[in-house]
Amino acid sequence: MSVTVSPEQFSLVLFESAEIHRVATELLERIGMAEVDLVVDVDETSPLARIEVLYGDPLTVKGDSGSFEDPRHPRHTDADIIATSLGRVLLRARDRASGTFDDAPADMALTLAQSAAWDTYSVGRLTRAGYPTNRQRWLYNYRNRHGFSDVADETFDRLWQADGLSWAELDAASAAAVSATAAAASAR
Amino acid sequence: MKRHLPVAELARDSRFAHVTMRDRFNDPRSVRPPTEAEGGPGRRNVNRLTPARKDASDAARVLMHGIFVGEIQALEGAGRTCFDFETGDGVDQAPFALKLDMARQCWDEARHCEMSAKLSDWMGTEIGEFAENTVLFEAACSNDPVLRLAGVNRALEGLAIDVFTTMREFGEVATDPVLAFCEDWMLADEVTHVKMGSDWLRRLTEHDPARRAAALEFQRVVDKLFSYGGTRSDSDESPIGLARRFRELAGFTEDEVAEVAELSLSALGEAKERKEQLRREAAEAMLATAQG
Repeated sequence: MSVTVSPEQFSLVLFESAEIHRVATELLERIGMAEVDLVVDVDETSPLARIEVLYGDPLTVKGDSGSFEDPRHPRHTDADIIATSLGRVLLRARDRASGTFDDAPADMALTLAQSAAWDTYSVGRLTRAGYPTNRQRWLYNYRNRHGFSDVADETFDRLWQADGLSWAELDAASAAAVSATAAAASAR
Repeated sequence: MKRHLPVAELARDSRFAHVTMRDRFNDPRSVRPPTEAEGGPGRRNVNRLTPARKDASDAARVLMHGIFVGEIQALEGAGRTCFDFETGDGVDQAPFALKLDMARQCWDEARHCEMSAKLSDWMGTEIGEFAENTVLFEAACSNDPVLRLAGVNRALEGLAIDVFTTMREFGEVATDPVLAFCEDWMLADEVTHVKMGSDWLRRLTEHDPARRAAALEFQRVVDKLFSYGGTRSDSDESPIGLARRFRELAGFTEDEVAEVAELSLSALGEAKERKEQLRREAAEAMLATAQG
Protein backbone atom coordinates (compact mmCIF):
# COMPACT_ATOMS: atom_id res chain seq x y z
CA MET A 1 0.00 0.00 0.00
CA SER A 2 1.17 3.55 -0.66
CA VAL A 3 -0.59 6.83 0.05
CA THR A 4 0.44 10.10 -1.60
CA VAL A 5 -1.10 13.45 -0.73
CA SER A 6 -0.94 16.38 -3.11
CA PRO A 7 0.03 19.13 -2.60
CA GLU A 8 2.61 18.42 0.05
CA GLN A 9 2.34 22.01 1.29
CA PHE A 10 -0.81 24.11 1.31
CA SER A 11 -0.89 27.87 0.85
CA LEU A 12 -4.62 28.81 0.90
CA VAL A 13 -5.69 26.52 3.75
CA LEU A 14 -4.02 25.47 6.99
CA PHE A 15 -3.99 21.75 6.15
CA GLU A 16 -1.20 19.32 7.03
CA SER A 17 -0.66 16.73 4.31
CA ALA A 18 0.77 14.38 6.98
CA GLU A 19 -2.61 14.40 8.76
CA ILE A 20 -4.48 13.47 5.58
CA HIS A 21 -1.86 10.77 4.91
CA ARG A 22 -2.26 9.30 8.40
CA VAL A 23 -6.07 9.22 8.24
CA ALA A 24 -6.09 7.76 4.70
CA THR A 25 -3.59 5.03 5.63
CA GLU A 26 -5.59 3.95 8.67
CA LEU A 27 -8.84 4.09 6.70
CA LEU A 28 -7.56 1.82 3.94
CA GLU A 29 -6.64 -0.77 6.58
CA ARG A 30 -9.94 -0.50 8.43
CA ILE A 31 -12.11 -0.93 5.33
CA GLY A 32 -10.12 -3.81 3.90
CA MET A 33 -8.31 -1.93 1.13
CA ALA A 34 -4.81 -2.22 2.57
CA GLU A 35 -3.37 -3.39 -0.76
CA VAL A 36 -4.52 -0.26 -2.64
CA ASP A 37 -2.15 2.49 -3.81
CA LEU A 38 -3.90 5.80 -3.27
CA VAL A 39 -3.32 9.39 -4.36
CA VAL A 40 -5.29 12.09 -2.55
CA ASP A 41 -5.35 15.25 -4.64
CA VAL A 42 -6.72 18.27 -2.74
CA ASP A 43 -7.95 21.36 -4.61
CA GLU A 44 -7.23 24.02 -2.01
CA THR A 45 -8.61 26.82 -4.19
CA SER A 46 -12.19 25.64 -3.64
CA PRO A 47 -14.02 25.65 -0.28
CA LEU A 48 -16.70 23.34 -1.72
CA ALA A 49 -16.93 19.69 -0.72
CA ARG A 50 -16.97 17.94 -4.10
CA ILE A 51 -15.05 14.68 -4.15
CA GLU A 52 -14.55 12.10 -6.90
CA VAL A 53 -12.55 8.99 -7.69
CA LEU A 54 -10.43 8.48 -10.78
CA TYR A 55 -10.40 4.71 -11.17
CA GLY A 56 -6.99 3.31 -12.08
CA ASP A 57 -3.75 2.25 -10.51
CA PRO A 58 -3.05 4.09 -8.32
CA LEU A 59 -6.57 4.99 -7.29
CA THR A 60 -6.88 8.79 -7.23
CA VAL A 61 -9.32 10.75 -5.08
CA LYS A 62 -9.73 14.37 -6.09
CA GLY A 63 -11.43 16.53 -3.50
CA ASP A 64 -12.15 20.21 -2.86
CA SER A 65 -10.68 21.48 0.40
CA GLY A 66 -14.19 21.58 1.90
CA SER A 67 -14.26 17.77 1.82
CA PHE A 68 -11.59 17.63 4.50
CA GLU A 69 -12.40 20.79 6.43
CA ASP A 70 -13.55 21.23 10.02
CA PRO A 71 -16.74 23.32 9.71
CA ARG A 72 -16.17 24.72 13.20
CA HIS A 73 -12.69 25.92 12.27
CA PRO A 74 -12.64 26.97 8.61
CA ARG A 75 -9.44 26.23 6.66
CA HIS A 76 -8.37 23.53 9.17
CA THR A 77 -8.78 19.79 8.70
CA ASP A 78 -10.89 17.42 10.78
CA ALA A 79 -9.81 13.76 10.97
CA ASP A 80 -13.33 12.34 11.13
CA ILE A 81 -14.44 14.40 8.17
CA ILE A 82 -11.39 13.34 6.14
CA ALA A 83 -12.22 9.70 6.95
CA THR A 84 -15.91 10.04 6.06
CA SER A 85 -15.25 11.87 2.80
CA LEU A 86 -12.53 9.50 1.66
CA GLY A 87 -14.30 6.41 3.02
CA ARG A 88 -17.50 7.21 1.14
CA VAL A 89 -15.78 7.25 -2.25
CA LEU A 90 -13.25 4.51 -1.47
CA LEU A 91 -16.02 2.09 -0.53
CA ARG A 92 -17.68 2.98 -3.81
CA ALA A 93 -14.41 2.05 -5.57
CA ARG A 94 -14.26 -1.19 -3.59
CA ASP A 95 -17.84 -2.01 -4.65
CA ARG A 96 -16.98 -1.38 -8.29
CA ALA A 97 -13.96 -3.67 -8.02
CA SER A 98 -16.05 -6.46 -6.45
CA GLY A 99 -17.67 -7.52 -9.73
CA THR A 100 -21.21 -7.09 -8.39
CA PHE A 101 -21.42 -3.43 -9.44
CA ASP A 102 -20.31 -3.88 -13.06
CA ASP A 103 -23.71 -2.74 -14.31
CA ALA A 104 -23.68 0.48 -12.25
CA PRO A 105 -23.58 3.71 -14.30
CA ALA A 106 -20.38 5.78 -14.21
CA ASP A 107 -20.23 8.09 -11.18
CA MET A 108 -21.08 11.16 -13.24
CA ALA A 109 -24.11 9.37 -14.72
CA LEU A 110 -25.65 8.39 -11.38
CA THR A 111 -28.92 10.13 -10.56
CA LEU A 112 -29.08 12.17 -7.35
CA ALA A 113 -31.25 9.40 -5.84
CA GLN A 114 -28.83 6.61 -6.83
CA SER A 115 -25.92 8.61 -5.50
CA ALA A 116 -27.71 9.22 -2.17
CA ALA A 117 -28.54 5.52 -1.92
CA TRP A 118 -24.92 4.52 -2.52
CA ASP A 119 -23.72 7.10 0.03
CA THR A 120 -26.15 5.63 2.57
CA TYR A 121 -24.79 2.15 1.94
CA SER A 122 -21.18 3.40 2.25
CA VAL A 123 -21.63 5.57 5.34
CA GLY A 124 -23.52 2.75 7.10
CA ARG A 125 -20.46 0.54 6.58
CA LEU A 126 -18.10 3.30 7.73
CA THR A 127 -20.14 3.58 10.92
CA ARG A 128 -19.69 -0.12 11.56
CA ALA A 129 -15.96 0.27 10.83
CA GLY A 130 -15.87 2.54 13.89
CA TYR A 131 -16.04 6.02 12.35
CA PRO A 132 -18.39 8.52 14.02
CA THR A 133 -21.17 9.56 11.65
CA ASN A 134 -24.52 11.29 12.08
CA ARG A 135 -27.22 8.89 10.84
CA GLN A 136 -29.86 11.63 10.77
CA ARG A 137 -27.72 13.73 8.40
CA TRP A 138 -27.61 10.90 5.87
CA LEU A 139 -31.30 10.11 6.38
CA TYR A 140 -32.11 13.76 5.60
CA ASN A 141 -30.01 13.57 2.43
CA TYR A 142 -31.73 10.30 1.47
CA ARG A 143 -35.17 11.80 2.08
CA ASN A 144 -34.36 14.85 -0.04
CA ARG A 145 -33.64 12.49 -2.94
CA HIS A 146 -36.29 9.82 -2.33
CA GLY A 147 -39.10 11.73 -0.68
CA PHE A 148 -40.24 12.13 2.89
CA SER A 149 -42.16 8.87 3.18
CA ASP A 150 -42.29 5.65 5.18
CA VAL A 151 -41.06 3.66 2.17
CA ALA A 152 -38.06 5.97 1.83
CA ASP A 153 -37.23 5.57 5.53
CA GLU A 154 -37.60 1.80 5.33
CA THR A 155 -35.28 1.48 2.31
CA PHE A 156 -32.82 3.85 4.00
CA ASP A 157 -32.66 1.52 7.02
CA ARG A 158 -32.07 -1.46 4.79
CA LEU A 159 -29.22 0.20 2.90
CA TRP A 160 -27.66 1.64 6.08
CA GLN A 161 -27.49 -1.80 7.70
CA ALA A 162 -26.49 -3.73 4.59
CA ASP A 163 -23.24 -5.42 3.64
CA GLY A 164 -22.37 -7.26 0.45
CA LEU A 165 -25.07 -5.67 -1.72
CA SER A 166 -24.99 -5.78 -5.51
CA TRP A 167 -25.76 -2.78 -7.71
CA ALA A 168 -29.07 -4.39 -8.72
CA GLU A 169 -30.15 -4.66 -5.08
CA LEU A 170 -29.05 -1.13 -4.23
CA ASP A 171 -30.71 0.36 -7.28
CA ALA A 172 -33.92 -1.59 -6.69
CA ALA A 173 -34.20 -0.23 -3.13
CA SER A 174 -33.66 3.33 -4.37
CA ALA A 175 -36.12 2.94 -7.25
CA ALA A 176 -38.78 1.49 -4.93
CA ALA A 177 -38.58 4.56 -2.69
CA VAL A 178 -38.69 6.97 -5.62
CA SER A 179 -41.73 5.32 -7.16
CA ALA A 180 -43.57 5.07 -3.85
CA THR A 181 -43.09 8.80 -3.33
CA ALA A 182 -44.20 9.57 -6.89
CA ALA A 183 -47.29 7.40 -6.44
CA ALA A 184 -48.17 9.14 -3.17
CA ALA A 185 -47.72 12.55 -4.84
CA SER A 186 -50.00 11.71 -7.75
CA ALA A 187 -52.62 10.28 -5.36
CA ARG A 188 -52.66 13.67 -3.59
CA MET B 1 -26.68 43.60 35.10
CA LYS B 2 -24.25 45.23 32.71
CA ARG B 3 -25.52 47.57 30.00
CA HIS B 4 -24.17 47.56 26.42
CA LEU B 5 -22.68 44.08 26.47
CA PRO B 6 -19.70 43.62 24.11
CA VAL B 7 -19.88 40.73 21.67
CA ALA B 8 -16.96 38.97 23.39
CA GLU B 9 -19.11 38.56 26.50
CA LEU B 10 -22.01 36.73 24.86
CA ALA B 11 -22.85 33.56 26.76
CA ARG B 12 -21.88 30.51 24.74
CA ASP B 13 -20.95 27.01 25.90
CA SER B 14 -18.08 24.91 24.55
CA ARG B 15 -20.14 23.58 21.64
CA PHE B 16 -19.90 26.94 19.88
CA ALA B 17 -16.87 28.09 17.87
CA HIS B 18 -16.64 31.73 16.85
CA VAL B 19 -15.46 32.98 13.46
CA THR B 20 -15.03 36.65 12.72
CA MET B 21 -16.04 38.57 9.62
CA ARG B 22 -12.35 39.28 9.06
CA ASP B 23 -11.63 35.52 8.95
CA ARG B 24 -14.36 35.09 6.36
CA PHE B 25 -13.19 37.94 4.19
CA ASN B 26 -9.60 36.71 4.41
CA ASP B 27 -10.45 33.23 3.15
CA PRO B 28 -8.84 33.29 -0.30
CA ARG B 29 -10.77 30.30 -1.59
CA SER B 30 -13.58 30.89 -4.01
CA VAL B 31 -16.68 28.97 -5.05
CA ARG B 32 -16.30 30.57 -8.48
CA PRO B 33 -15.31 28.02 -11.13
CA PRO B 34 -12.48 28.98 -13.50
CA THR B 35 -13.59 31.13 -16.42
CA GLU B 36 -13.11 30.07 -20.04
CA ALA B 37 -9.95 32.20 -20.21
CA GLU B 38 -8.59 30.32 -17.17
CA GLY B 39 -9.23 26.95 -18.79
CA GLY B 40 -12.62 26.35 -17.15
CA PRO B 41 -15.92 25.50 -18.79
CA GLY B 42 -16.98 29.14 -18.84
CA ARG B 43 -20.44 28.34 -17.57
CA ARG B 44 -22.44 30.87 -15.62
CA ASN B 45 -21.99 30.15 -11.94
CA VAL B 46 -25.35 29.22 -10.39
CA ASN B 47 -25.25 28.90 -6.60
CA ARG B 48 -28.89 29.48 -5.67
CA LEU B 49 -29.89 27.03 -2.93
CA THR B 50 -32.34 24.58 -4.50
CA PRO B 51 -32.75 20.79 -4.08
CA ALA B 52 -31.33 20.35 -7.60
CA ARG B 53 -27.87 21.21 -6.31
CA LYS B 54 -25.71 18.14 -5.71
CA ASP B 55 -24.73 19.45 -2.29
CA ALA B 56 -28.28 20.61 -1.49
CA SER B 57 -28.72 18.71 1.78
CA ASP B 58 -25.46 19.88 3.31
CA ALA B 59 -25.87 23.43 2.01
CA ALA B 60 -29.34 23.55 3.60
CA ARG B 61 -27.91 22.24 6.88
CA VAL B 62 -25.24 24.95 6.91
CA LEU B 63 -27.81 27.66 6.23
CA MET B 64 -30.17 26.27 8.88
CA HIS B 65 -27.40 26.38 11.47
CA GLY B 66 -26.67 29.97 10.42
CA ILE B 67 -30.35 30.77 10.97
CA PHE B 68 -30.20 29.13 14.40
CA VAL B 69 -27.26 31.19 15.66
CA GLY B 70 -28.79 34.27 14.00
CA GLU B 71 -31.97 33.73 16.02
CA ILE B 72 -29.95 33.49 19.24
CA GLN B 73 -28.23 36.79 18.43
CA ALA B 74 -31.50 38.44 17.40
CA LEU B 75 -32.97 37.43 20.76
CA GLU B 76 -29.93 38.84 22.53
CA GLY B 77 -30.08 42.05 20.48
CA ALA B 78 -33.78 42.73 21.04
CA GLY B 79 -33.42 41.90 24.72
CA ARG B 80 -30.52 44.31 25.00
CA THR B 81 -32.55 47.12 23.42
CA CYS B 82 -35.19 46.61 26.13
CA PHE B 83 -32.56 46.88 28.84
CA ASP B 84 -29.72 49.09 27.61
CA PHE B 85 -31.71 52.36 27.42
CA GLU B 86 -33.67 54.35 29.96
CA THR B 87 -37.37 54.59 29.14
CA GLY B 88 -38.24 57.94 27.59
CA ASP B 89 -38.37 60.03 24.43
CA GLY B 90 -34.79 61.43 24.52
CA VAL B 91 -32.17 60.67 21.88
CA ASP B 92 -30.37 58.21 24.16
CA GLN B 93 -33.63 56.74 25.50
CA ALA B 94 -36.21 54.26 24.19
CA PRO B 95 -39.97 54.85 24.46
CA PHE B 96 -41.93 52.31 26.50
CA ALA B 97 -43.96 51.23 23.45
CA LEU B 98 -40.73 50.51 21.55
CA LYS B 99 -39.49 48.38 24.43
CA LEU B 100 -42.81 46.54 24.39
CA ASP B 101 -42.31 45.77 20.69
CA MET B 102 -38.76 44.59 21.40
CA ALA B 103 -40.09 42.38 24.22
CA ARG B 104 -42.58 40.86 21.80
CA GLN B 105 -39.73 40.31 19.37
CA CYS B 106 -37.75 38.52 22.09
CA TRP B 107 -40.67 36.16 22.53
CA ASP B 108 -40.71 35.50 18.77
CA GLU B 109 -36.95 35.02 18.57
CA ALA B 110 -36.92 32.61 21.52
CA ARG B 111 -39.56 30.55 19.72
CA HIS B 112 -37.49 30.73 16.52
CA CYS B 113 -34.41 29.49 18.41
CA GLU B 114 -36.36 26.48 19.56
CA MET B 115 -37.79 25.81 16.10
CA SER B 116 -34.37 26.20 14.48
CA ALA B 117 -32.76 23.82 16.97
CA LYS B 118 -35.45 21.23 16.27
CA LEU B 119 -35.14 21.78 12.51
CA SER B 120 -31.39 21.26 12.82
CA ASP B 121 -32.08 17.93 14.59
CA TRP B 122 -34.44 16.99 11.77
CA MET B 123 -31.73 17.76 9.20
CA GLY B 124 -29.01 15.91 11.10
CA THR B 125 -27.05 18.88 12.40
CA GLU B 126 -25.61 19.18 15.88
CA ILE B 127 -25.67 22.47 17.76
CA GLY B 128 -22.30 24.15 17.16
CA GLU B 129 -21.42 21.89 14.22
CA PHE B 130 -20.59 24.99 12.17
CA ALA B 131 -18.71 28.11 13.20
CA GLU B 132 -20.80 31.02 14.52
CA ASN B 133 -20.37 34.47 13.02
CA THR B 134 -21.45 37.06 15.58
CA VAL B 135 -21.67 39.99 13.19
CA LEU B 136 -25.43 39.99 13.66
CA PHE B 137 -25.14 40.89 17.34
CA GLU B 138 -22.48 43.47 16.55
CA ALA B 139 -25.09 45.41 14.58
CA ALA B 140 -27.18 45.51 17.76
CA CYS B 141 -24.50 47.23 19.84
CA SER B 142 -25.07 50.86 18.80
CA ASN B 143 -25.58 53.53 21.47
CA ASP B 144 -28.53 54.94 19.53
CA PRO B 145 -31.72 52.81 19.58
CA VAL B 146 -32.66 54.15 16.14
CA LEU B 147 -29.42 52.80 14.67
CA ARG B 148 -30.19 49.42 16.23
CA LEU B 149 -33.62 49.47 14.59
CA ALA B 150 -32.05 50.32 11.25
CA GLY B 151 -29.22 47.79 11.56
CA VAL B 152 -31.09 44.92 13.20
CA ASN B 153 -34.78 45.22 12.34
CA ARG B 154 -34.41 46.68 8.87
CA ALA B 155 -31.13 45.19 7.63
CA LEU B 156 -30.74 41.97 9.61
CA GLU B 157 -34.41 41.02 9.81
CA GLY B 158 -34.68 42.02 6.15
CA LEU B 159 -31.98 39.48 5.39
CA ALA B 160 -33.95 36.97 7.47
CA ILE B 161 -36.93 37.52 5.14
CA ASP B 162 -34.73 36.65 2.17
CA VAL B 163 -33.26 33.60 3.92
CA PHE B 164 -36.61 32.22 5.13
CA THR B 165 -38.16 32.69 1.71
CA THR B 166 -35.29 30.72 0.12
CA MET B 167 -35.52 27.98 2.75
CA ARG B 168 -39.32 27.76 2.50
CA GLU B 169 -39.06 27.32 -1.27
CA PHE B 170 -36.34 24.71 -0.74
CA GLY B 171 -38.64 22.78 1.62
CA GLU B 172 -41.57 23.02 -0.79
CA VAL B 173 -39.59 21.74 -3.78
CA ALA B 174 -38.03 18.94 -1.72
CA THR B 175 -41.54 18.14 -0.36
CA ASP B 176 -40.12 18.38 3.15
CA PRO B 177 -43.30 18.85 5.20
CA VAL B 178 -41.55 20.09 8.33
CA LEU B 179 -39.08 22.57 6.85
CA ALA B 180 -41.53 24.39 4.56
CA PHE B 181 -44.13 24.68 7.33
CA CYS B 182 -41.71 26.00 9.98
CA GLU B 183 -40.04 28.48 7.64
CA ASP B 184 -43.41 29.91 6.64
CA TRP B 185 -44.32 30.59 10.26
CA MET B 186 -41.00 32.20 11.04
CA LEU B 187 -41.18 34.26 7.85
CA ALA B 188 -44.48 35.76 9.02
CA ASP B 189 -42.83 36.91 12.25
CA GLU B 190 -39.82 38.38 10.43
CA VAL B 191 -42.08 40.52 8.23
CA THR B 192 -43.58 41.90 11.44
CA HIS B 193 -40.14 42.61 12.93
CA VAL B 194 -39.03 44.53 9.84
CA LYS B 195 -42.31 46.46 9.82
CA MET B 196 -41.76 47.39 13.49
CA GLY B 197 -38.28 48.64 12.57
CA SER B 198 -39.59 50.66 9.62
CA ASP B 199 -42.41 52.21 11.66
CA TRP B 200 -40.22 53.11 14.66
CA LEU B 201 -37.45 54.47 12.47
CA ARG B 202 -39.89 56.86 10.81
CA ARG B 203 -41.60 57.80 14.06
CA LEU B 204 -38.46 58.47 16.11
CA THR B 205 -36.76 60.51 13.41
CA GLU B 206 -39.81 62.38 12.18
CA HIS B 207 -38.40 65.74 13.32
CA ASP B 208 -34.72 64.83 13.17
CA PRO B 209 -33.57 64.42 9.54
CA ALA B 210 -29.88 64.15 10.53
CA ARG B 211 -30.61 61.22 12.85
CA ARG B 212 -32.70 59.56 10.16
CA ALA B 213 -29.93 60.00 7.60
CA ALA B 214 -27.37 58.51 10.03
CA ALA B 215 -29.67 55.55 10.70
CA LEU B 216 -30.25 54.89 6.99
CA GLU B 217 -26.52 55.15 6.33
CA PHE B 218 -25.87 52.63 9.11
CA GLN B 219 -28.51 50.38 7.55
CA ARG B 220 -26.72 50.57 4.19
CA VAL B 221 -23.43 49.56 5.80
CA VAL B 222 -25.04 46.66 7.64
CA ASP B 223 -26.97 45.60 4.54
CA LYS B 224 -23.76 45.39 2.58
CA LEU B 225 -22.04 43.49 5.38
CA PHE B 226 -25.00 41.13 5.70
CA SER B 227 -24.85 40.42 2.01
CA TYR B 228 -21.90 38.34 3.20
CA GLY B 229 -19.73 39.11 0.24
CA GLY B 230 -22.47 38.20 -2.20
CA THR B 231 -24.35 35.46 -0.35
CA ARG B 232 -27.64 37.31 -0.88
CA SER B 233 -28.55 39.09 -4.11
CA ASP B 234 -30.80 38.94 -7.17
CA SER B 235 -28.01 37.12 -9.04
CA ASP B 236 -28.16 33.32 -9.39
CA GLU B 237 -24.56 33.38 -8.21
CA SER B 238 -25.88 34.09 -4.70
CA PRO B 239 -27.36 31.18 -2.70
CA ILE B 240 -30.05 33.43 -1.24
CA GLY B 241 -32.39 35.53 -3.37
CA LEU B 242 -33.92 38.90 -2.55
CA ALA B 243 -37.55 38.48 -1.39
CA ARG B 244 -38.90 41.67 -2.91
CA ARG B 245 -42.60 41.09 -2.22
CA PHE B 246 -42.15 40.31 1.48
CA ARG B 247 -39.86 43.31 1.88
CA GLU B 248 -42.60 45.53 0.48
CA LEU B 249 -45.05 43.99 2.94
CA ALA B 250 -42.57 44.82 5.70
CA GLY B 251 -42.61 48.52 4.89
CA PHE B 252 -39.74 48.86 2.42
CA THR B 253 -40.48 51.27 -0.43
CA GLU B 254 -39.75 50.22 -4.01
CA ASP B 255 -36.69 52.49 -4.03
CA GLU B 256 -35.40 50.98 -0.79
CA VAL B 257 -35.72 47.44 -2.17
CA ALA B 258 -33.90 48.54 -5.32
CA GLU B 259 -31.15 50.03 -3.18
CA VAL B 260 -30.68 46.78 -1.21
CA ALA B 261 -30.56 44.89 -4.52
CA GLU B 262 -27.87 47.22 -5.85
CA LEU B 263 -25.83 47.03 -2.63
CA SER B 264 -25.99 43.23 -2.64
CA LEU B 265 -24.82 42.98 -6.24
CA SER B 266 -21.99 45.36 -5.50
CA ALA B 267 -21.00 43.23 -2.46
CA LEU B 268 -20.94 40.18 -4.74
CA GLY B 269 -18.63 41.94 -7.20
CA GLU B 270 -16.33 43.17 -4.46
CA ALA B 271 -16.14 39.70 -2.91
CA LYS B 272 -15.04 38.22 -6.24
CA GLU B 273 -12.33 40.88 -6.66
CA ARG B 274 -11.13 40.42 -3.07
CA LYS B 275 -10.80 36.65 -3.46
CA GLU B 276 -8.88 37.06 -6.71
CA GLN B 277 -6.47 39.38 -4.95
CA LEU B 278 -5.99 36.99 -2.01
CA ARG B 279 -5.36 34.11 -4.37
CA ARG B 280 -2.79 36.10 -6.32
CA GLU B 281 -1.04 37.01 -3.06
CA ALA B 282 -1.02 33.36 -1.90
CA ALA B 283 0.36 32.21 -5.25
CA GLU B 284 3.12 34.83 -5.10
CA ALA B 285 3.98 33.84 -1.51
CA MET B 286 4.10 30.17 -2.51
CA LEU B 287 6.37 30.96 -5.46
CA ALA B 288 8.67 33.02 -3.25
CA THR B 289 8.90 30.12 -0.76
CA ALA B 290 9.62 27.62 -3.54
CA GLN B 291 12.38 29.84 -4.92
CA GLY B 292 13.94 29.97 -1.47
